[in-house]
This record gives sequence, C-alpha cells and structure tokens, in this order.
Amino acid sequence: MLPKVGFIGLGVMGKPMAMNLIKNGYSLRVYGRRKEAMAPLVEAGAVACGSAEEAARGCDVIFTMVTTTRDVQEVVLGERGVIAGARPGDIVVDMGTISPAATRAIAARLAEAGIEALDAPVSGGGIGAISGTLSIMVGGKPEIFERVNPLFSCMGKNIVHIGPNGAGQVAKACNQMVMLIALQGLAEAFAFARKSGLDSARVYEALSGGAAQSRILEVLGKRMVERNYDPGIEARLHYKDIQIVLDEAHTLGMALPGTALVTQMFNALIGRGGGNQDSSQLVEVIEAMSKNLL
Amino acid sequence: MSINVGFIGLGIMGKPMALNLIKSGYPLWVYGRRVESMAPLTAAGAHACASPEEAARTADITFIMVSDTQDVEQVILGPKGVLSGAQPGAIVVDMSTISPVATRSLAARLMESGIEMLDAPVSGGETGAVNGALSLMVGGKPEVFIRVKPLFEQMGKKIVHVGANGAGQATKACNQIVASLTIEGVAEAFTFARRNGVDPGRVREALLGGFANSRILEVHGQRMLDHDFRPGFKVRLHQKDLRIVMETAHQMGIALPGSALVAQHLNALIGSGEGELDSSALVQVIERLNEGK
Repeated sequence: MLPKVGFIGLGVMGKPMAMNLIKNGYSLRVYGRRKEAMAPLVEAGAVACGSAEEAARGCDVIFTMVTTTRDVQEVVLGERGVIAGARPGDIVVDMGTISPAATRAIAARLAEAGIEALDAPVSGGGIGAISGTLSIMVGGKPEIFERVNPLFSCMGKNIVHIGPNGAGQVAKACNQMVMLIALQGLAEAFAFARKSGLDSARVYEALSGGAAQSRILEVLGKRMVERNYDPGIEARLHYKDIQIVLDEAHTLGMALPGTALVTQMFNALIGRGGGNQDSSQLVEVIEAMSKNLL
Repeated sequence: MSINVGFIGLGIMGKPMALNLIKSGYPLWVYGRRVESMAPLTAAGAHACASPEEAARTADITFIMVSDTQDVEQVILGPKGVLSGAQPGAIVVDMSTISPVATRSLAARLMESGIEMLDAPVSGGETGAVNGALSLMVGGKPEVFIRVKPLFEQMGKKIVHVGANGAGQATKACNQIVASLTIEGVAEAFTFARRNGVDPGRVREALLGGFANSRILEVHGQRMLDHDFRPGFKVRLHQKDLRIVMETAHQMGIALPGSALVAQHLNALIGSGEGELDSSALVQVIERLNEGK
C-alpha cells in the first residue's frame, strides 16, 4: 500500500513535483500559501488543506518545497506547522535549498517529537521538475532514505544519498559554488572577448567541446552571447543560495574567496534590479565594472 | 531636574560604560541577562531590574549595549522589552554594533509609539570604555542627539553626530571596511616584501612617510613584524563586525569585493582557532596561502 503524502509549497517547483507524485498514484494532501496554487492539484485529485498542519495530518511522508530557511522553519515548526499535524514515525522531507545548520537543528527538533527528517534539495530547475528529471541530494538516515526513494524517483533521475541530516544541503551548496563560480568565469571570459573585439558567438563555439565545456557554458553561456536574460532561473534564487554558502563558511571558519566575490557580483545584480531575470546577466555586471568612457 | 537612565547589557563594554554614568551622578536602572552582571552596578548604587521593560519604565534615556542585531531586536521588541516599558517622549540609545537596516526599522517602530531613538555604536574597546575615552558615531535627530550628548561625554571623548537614524551604524561599518582592507593591504605588502628578499621593517619605515601611511601601518604593521598578536581588537569581534557589513551589503544589493575577501580571511583565522588574536594575525593567512602550511 502506497504511503499517504502531504505536500506543502506549490510554486514553480512544488507544483510540478506534486503533480508527478499524483501521476504515479500517490494520494496527496496539499497546502500552498496562495489558494490558486492548489487548484490544479485538486483537479488532479489532491485534497486542498488550510494549513501545513492540516496537510500533514494522516500522512506518512510530508514534503516541503518553500523558498528560504525562515520559510521552512515557519512551515515545519511554526504555529499550525507540520510538527503540529504529524505523528511519531512520520517522515518530513524538505526539498528546498536552505542553511545546512538550520536543517540539522530542524531535524533535531523533529526527532524530539519522534518524527524522521530528510533534507533533499534539488537541481534542474522548473524544466527538471516538470519532466521528473531533477537531481536530488539527500541527507538523513539510510533506512529513511530507502523508504522515500520510490517517491524521489517520481520527481528525479539522479538521486544520491550523501550522508546524515544536513549533508544534502551541503552537497547542494557545493553544487551552487561550482556552478556559480563557473558562471563568473564565463561572464569574465565573454566580457574579455568582447572587449578584445571578438564575436562572442565564435568564442562560445570554440569553448564548447573542449576542456572548458560545461552545462553552464552550454546553457547560460548561450544566453550571454545572445544577451537573452529571460529566466531560466531567476538571479534572486542564486543570490539567496550563494549567501547560504557564505553563512556556513562563516560558522565553519573557512575562507571561500571565489564564492565571496561571486556573492558580491550577485549583490550588484540585485542592486541594479536584475533579480527576476536569468543569472547570465552577470556578464553585464562585469562589463559595467570596466565601462569605457567615450 | 535629574534624568533617569536605563542601561541594558552589562558585559565587557556595558559594565564600565554604565559605571561611568553612575560616577557622573545619573540614577541608573540596570538589566543584564546574567544576574551576576548587575552586582557591580548595584554595589555602585544602581537599581537592579528584572527585565528590559522594567529598566526602561521610569527612564528618560535607556541605553542598550548587547552583542548582535537579534539581541537588540529582542531587547527592544521582545516580551518584557523596552517597547513595553518606555514612555512616549523617552529616548532609546543603542550603542551596540548592529545592522543599519535593522536599526532604521527599529527607529521607525519606536517612533510609532512616540519614542525617539539614536544609534551610537562605539570604538575603543574595553580600555576605551573603562577610561570614558570611546569614539562614538551617532545617528538620529539633532535635537535628540543634543539631549543625550552630556551622557555620551561621560562615556566617550570623540563624539560625532553623523546623520539620521542608521547613520551611526553605517559609519561604523565604513570604519570596519576601511580598517579591514588596510590591514589586508599591509599583510599582503609585507608578504610580498619578504618573498622579494626585502626586510618588511624597512618597507614599513619607507611607507610611513608617504601616501601609504596609516595608523594601521604603524600599529598593526609593527605587530605583524614582531609576530606579536596580543589584542588589540580580537579577530572574533572583527569577524562579527564584518559579517554585519556583508549581510547588510547582501540585503541592500551592494557589491563589496574587497571586504568580502577579508571576511573570508577572518573566517580562516577563526577556523584555525585563532579568534582571540589581534586582527594583525591576518598576515598569517596570507603567509599560509603562499607557503601551503
């Protein structure tokens, strides 16, 4: 018999993820802050709830897919939160990208109530969520991971159990570091190419297929060449994610110079109003720094 | 007409600051989270209170000297907080070093209840606090600043009104940005000198007379030469202050590349257990970067 599922957070990512669970035969209790968000899920057979607590009631596995650390703390531990509706033995799976330290604290708090927790942040964006091909990086007990793995398989393709609670968030942080520092490299390279009088499309072609090849070059590099900044992924999400990495480095007591610099570039991007456009805009921040005064 | 004064936060800085106010004859109502922290104050004649609310209740001016942004928010807005006790027309003076953004928000919230606020972060450390020789950077209305100035003068020597609410905190942040990058510059320069086979002591001498001259080259530079990292200003506190700067920059969408890098170097010192050393210990991070130890 399939576990009963709660799903909280029905935005760009949460909605298609929840839909994929329904398509695979799971019965869902859902809650989204905006009532309209629940409508398509209800049409597909889900039960709409009035709070996270209500969505959690009677469920075996409860997913959360909300934006910030504070949102997760609110939804899971706050008033009318998941902890109020869940029973000992239930599993709470947070799939957002939040602070590893806060994740461990939330798991500890849930454990006090006999509730299990997994952190399972994802990579692959809205497209990956819709097509069920997300990468999922999981932290928590192995036996709990095993129980939730069949549900993860409805939402993702590359599913890796990284380690204990918090490990999923650390792996996601690593993902963002590699991806966003690569993005910085691309932005500087294309700005450098243009400043040298080159056609950035030719440079893109030259770099593809060589040692500098990466998904980031392929997808975001293309947007830089075309100066097409329709998201993709909204820069404000990367801006949020990369600060999480720095906060963790502060606590750990380690230097991450590249990450720190890229965070400043994202600060500037947000400061000039680019939060809702694609992160490939970073190239314009670099170009602005070295503007030629005619 | 005597002014009743509240004082919340009686740690390393708060205690001597509050004692200086008592010595000048102000009646004080004090609150510290740890009950023992109030003992030296009550011995000097202060009234011990059970909450920030109680300390603020009869006060014309209430000072706050706690560690971080969340602590100030808790003390002012939390249960049994200053907001619950302070009277309309009273003044709240936060002398902690916290976020300018949070400060502006707190000032607006207090104003809704008719309470004035100043932000007056300090520099000068424990020594400055004990000797009444702190430097103060004050933000808030001019007429409110004037009312509190006589009390500031019991705690500090250099007192500058820099602007509106939040300006004090922003100025303190600027102080940290300049100081941090200057220490970093000196650390990098000395490391570069050594690698070039040049005595950094001679380099320092040469630089003292010109455009690269600064208090930091003078003082921190000497500490780097001697490898004498007794504080001074501790790495741990420096890391905290710079974290506030970087969080504010992030919140406001401001790029501070240099400060961001120095913050990482301070992280490294904390991670290697050197948080109690003077900031000049930053030179060790650059040395390690270049020597792989």
